[in-house]
Amino acid sequence: MKRSLSYSIAALLLVLISCDYKPRNQGRVLYEKECQSCHMENGQGLGKLIPPVAKSDYVVNHREGIACLIRNGIEGEMMVNGQLYTGKMAGNSQLTEIEINNLVHYILVDLNDQKDPYQISEVRAQLERCKQ
Amino acid sequence: MKQRIYWKSLSVSLLLIGFLAEGCEESASRPLPLLGPYEVNDTIIDGMLNTDTTFTAVRPFSFTDQDGNEVTEVTTNGKVYITDFFFTSCPTICPKMKQQMLRLYNDFEDNDDVIFLSHSIDPKRDSVARLHDYAEKLGISSERWHLMTGERDDIYSMAKHYMIAAQEDKLAPGGYAHSGAFLLVDKSKQIRGIYDGTSAEEVDQLKEDIQKLLNDEAQP
Repeated sequence: MKRSLSYSIAALLLVLISCDYKPRNQGRVLYEKECQSCHMENGQGLGKLIPPVAKSDYVVNHREGIACLIRNGIEGEMMVNGQLYTGKMAGNSQLTEIEINNLVHYILVDLNDQKDPYQISEVRAQLERCKQ
Repeated sequence: MKQRIYWKSLSVSLLLIGFLAEGCEESASRPLPLLGPYEVNDTIIDGMLNTDTTFTAVRPFSFTDQDGNEVTEVTTNGKVYITDFFFTSCPTICPKMKQQMLRLYNDFEDNDDVIFLSHSIDPKRDSVARLHDYAEKLGISSERWHLMTGERDDIYSMAKHYMIAAQEDKLAPGGYAHSGAFLLVDKSKQIRGIYDGTSAEEVDQLKEDIQKLLNDEAQP
């Protein structure tokens, strides 16, 4: 009796943990780890220093450049929602194609209400073009 | 035998409940602690050793802010202030710290008695012009929030004085390792609290504590 109880608790825990590893959630977890300290918890950015990645016209209009932007970083002038930003973002060489895919998917779908899912083939082709 | 164990565990639980209850009461109305550097003075009074601990006030300092103004301990006279250490090109915790400090800055907008002192620990890159640009983009005024630079050694010894960790570190992202702490200093220049400036919950507590200091000091 006791044993079966502990088995079911273990099983329940496993289910709860694994829930967090759905692709969508991996994107959120990666966002919290890699992006949030600058772009903030809801993607709102910071004043005129750090551009928003949520409800951001730049993100929506640069769908085909976002994977490379995350991989290689970006520097120089950038217009986002009518505001000019001049900061510098470091690239990330550690993230795998799948991680970048899930991260961009989270940014596009959850933070920018985009309907089309981000595809791994799209990410792969993009990263191939901007390989450094 | 069984009965003895029963009484024992009952009295332990009662004690525990007592402790817990006292803890609750304390946190509700407890004055803020005095923190920071202190001196212990031993004196002999009527042949008895008398030990008195005095917390020393924040020492004098001199830095330059984003508008080129000199900021010294005199600037903080009659003010409650919140201070931290950061640098403008910091890629890790600083934006979060600045977001949280900006929240406090806006919350105490109408109160001239609350000011903010942020020390840049990167005197090489963070010139007055660069701090000015950063302040402008953050939308803050040097009337209430000073972004300060100065001599390298002065900045680091000030961090040490406030007991906040800050150092150059080639391996750290951006070249500097530092703590995200916010320090709360009262009108008598005594340190009264230390908070994690990257945590919204701790900054909520800081906001309450600032209000508490202002209320206490408003009383005669």
